[in-house]
Amino acid sequence: MIDYKKKLVTLSLQIKSIFSGHPIAIAGLIGFVIFVLTALLAPWIAPQNPYDLMVLDIMDGLLPPLSKLGNGTTSWLGTDAVGRDILSAVMYGLRLSLFVAFMATTVGSIIGVFLGLLAAVKGGWVESVIMRAVDLKVSFPGILLALMMLAIFGTGVDKIIYALIIGVWASKARLTRSSALSEMQKEYIDAARISAIPNWRIMLKFLLPNSIAPVLVMIPMSLSGCIGAEATLSFLGVGVPITEPSLGLLIANGNDYLLSGKWWISIFPGVVLVSLVLCINVVADRIREHNNPFLKSMNMQ
Amino acid sequence: MNNTPLLKINNLTVTYPLNSEGSDVLKALDNISLKVNSGQIIGIVGESGAGKSTIGKAILGLLDPPAKLVSGEIRFLGNSLVGLSEAQFESLRGNQIGYIYQNPMTALNPVLTIGEQVTEAIEANTNMRGKNAREYAIQLLERADVSFAEDRLQKYPHQLSGGLCQRIVFAIAIAAKPKLIIADEPTTALDVTVQSSVLQTLIKLSQEEDIAIILITHDIGVVSETCDYVYVLRNGKHIEQGATVQVLEKPMQEYTRSLMASVPLIEKRLHRFALPNEGKMEGISTHLGYLQEDRKEDFSSNKTILKVTNISKTFYTPSTLFKPKEAFKAVRNVSFSVNRGETVGIVGESGSGKSTIGRMILGLEDITEGNVVYKGKDINSITNSEERLAHYLSIQCIFQDPYSSLNPRMTAGENITYGLKIHKLIDPKNAKSLAQDLMVLVGLQRQDADKLPHSFSGGERQRIGIARALGYRPDFIFCDEPTSALDVSVQANLLNLLKDLQEQFSLTLLFVSHDLAVIRQMCDRVIVMKDGEALENGSNENIFEQPKHAYTRSLLDAMPKFQGLAQS
Repeated sequence: MIDYKKKLVTLSLQIKSIFSGHPIAIAGLIGFVIFVLTALLAPWIAPQNPYDLMVLDIMDGLLPPLSKLGNGTTSWLGTDAVGRDILSAVMYGLRLSLFVAFMATTVGSIIGVFLGLLAAVKGGWVESVIMRAVDLKVSFPGILLALMMLAIFGTGVDKIIYALIIGVWASKARLTRSSALSEMQKEYIDAARISAIPNWRIMLKFLLPNSIAPVLVMIPMSLSGCIGAEATLSFLGVGVPITEPSLGLLIANGNDYLLSGKWWISIFPGVVLVSLVLCINVVADRIREHNNPFLKSMNMQ
Repeated sequence: MNNTPLLKINNLTVTYPLNSEGSDVLKALDNISLKVNSGQIIGIVGESGAGKSTIGKAILGLLDPPAKLVSGEIRFLGNSLVGLSEAQFESLRGNQIGYIYQNPMTALNPVLTIGEQVTEAIEANTNMRGKNAREYAIQLLERADVSFAEDRLQKYPHQLSGGLCQRIVFAIAIAAKPKLIIADEPTTALDVTVQSSVLQTLIKLSQEEDIAIILITHDIGVVSETCDYVYVLRNGKHIEQGATVQVLEKPMQEYTRSLMASVPLIEKRLHRFALPNEGKMEGISTHLGYLQEDRKEDFSSNKTILKVTNISKTFYTPSTLFKPKEAFKAVRNVSFSVNRGETVGIVGESGSGKSTIGRMILGLEDITEGNVVYKGKDINSITNSEERLAHYLSIQCIFQDPYSSLNPRMTAGENITYGLKIHKLIDPKNAKSLAQDLMVLVGLQRQDADKLPHSFSGGERQRIGIARALGYRPDFIFCDEPTSALDVSVQANLLNLLKDLQEQFSLTLLFVSHDLAVIRQMCDRVIVMKDGEALENGSNENIFEQPKHAYTRSLLDAMPKFQGLAQS
């Protein structure tokens, strides 16, 4: 029934209207797409599988960028202490960092939006419980909360995703609730209620599509926030396990060698991390500006 | 007598670009000329989009970009106003030409007292300072008919009523003794009793201070009471001009004639509005059977369908640590009954509790006291859930604000049939054709059922709302100011439609409005409400021709009188 082709056309037109005439945002979008493609295709395009201990040779350890490895290939970005190719490690690290951030943002946003809608529709004690939980969450520094979580539950890719979800859901719940509350003042909700349409349908078919826009605008911001937070936690050694290095862990690995002149181990993952977050933030800023007429009119003047 | 008019506009054209290159433009004003003599009150009338407000803004150089004054000249006291610098305009605004906005509550600064705001205007435009300015402020307020002028100086805008605030805006506008005041819908935000006295003040000021006034309004009644001379605009184009009596009663142009025919009259009740080019409806056959099912009951017999007994509604402000909760009685002990097939009107000013009654009947608000019996049963006492649902669905509502009464993410057709599918009243396969039939029934195009609400105008959206209500095959429809957001010609069409549908489907209507003339045209019986109480309840003729209660009489007196088109 739904005309997917037509929807795809409208979506691409929308993307065009957001980005046309904003070269920096376009560059950010292209950069982000390249990073995502690299992460997805890492197993096929990386020169080496950094997880496979059999291909690592300790004799290749700590080689500077552009060195020849023992097997005759060139290591473009150098190697780390155990002879792991930095370029390959960065590709795999990017993969993990993006996976963790995507999962946390998606699941966290879904939970947040659902709880926000529930609070708005139900009111009463349900609303009180949800919103006090939001207040409680917001009153803790996010990174401290994540550290506590990981200290209690231990480390691991799944654990860090849980910890990041805890950081994501609260702001989404608060935002959804406030926009759903203003939608609920409108007469089409009354029209649905006098027609005895059940509450859960009002939530999904009436409130959700009409109050989700501000949350969607926030999602890229939260994605870059999650990438940063994951890198921080991994750098501190409470994030992903050492066998599956993410960007943050790679930076931590090279940290010890920075003062002895082996700069490439930390610097390259660091550059990738910074440019990834930058790309996402540039895109996010543009989307936010596009959706907020007030910001737009300030730019026009 | 000199022959130079105070303000003269020649061939004024203002455009809005429709695309970024500016090759396609919308002419907000197209070749408009007008003339104002000193001390004259002229009216500019038109429906939304006519460009009335744009004239006022163009005179004062207040056009919002990207609007552009393309050609034409504006002369004030012989001097051209086109192309003045911002500084030159500033010395003109307020000083020689005053401006009065539609909503007095937003025109006044909420954090300054009335005194501060009036003296600010005085000090900006005259040499008076300190005590003199204060005395002059009191004088100004008194001239604008503000009672207890001296006490009001210490008050803030939110402590005063809308009518008083508008008078204070008048006082500020006349502070610099301007020659001309542009009043943009000055009484639209006010209740009818307040409106008439505010208009009296405006006329008095014009006469006593010799100020010319350009009154911009959509309300024909207001024009007929105030203006000497009228210009009629439509979509930026000049339609007609002339002395008020002549334009309103013997219009030369087709458009003006149909506009006047659309104005609901208070003097006498017509069967329907005599609109010249009302399209004949295309017939529907497929789903007529569904829509007319279960309508065999005889509706000519005056059986009571709805009985409301002593209902009250109390709202509470939430209690806080420092303040106990406060009760506010929105509805007090109201009783009435509605017979099958008739239209009962509830009329009252804002805050009279008229909509709250409807919301209680619809089940959107809990009833604090009393009960509502519909078709012989109290809704809350029905235990069988199916019967309860049928009961619920047979009462529908047409809402006030067409811009918020449809789900913006559903097409018109989905909006109409969504609930029907949920309750399995129709086969989902037939939903689309039923939606199309209902669209035709309310005077819309069959193929428009696939469009989203934002592509419809206000009047069309209201029709979709009516179609949605009809889909449930209701017996009773609560109409909550269904036309208050619409232009007068759209209103007339919609009211005619409601009357037609009422006959076709034997509907019973409970019609809430603040507009006495609309109630006069629509309703068989009328309930007059004030501050939550029903003051008077009687037949249309009794209420409008021999009102018993003093409040009803004052409401009727306050209505702007418009006789309608002269019978030829």
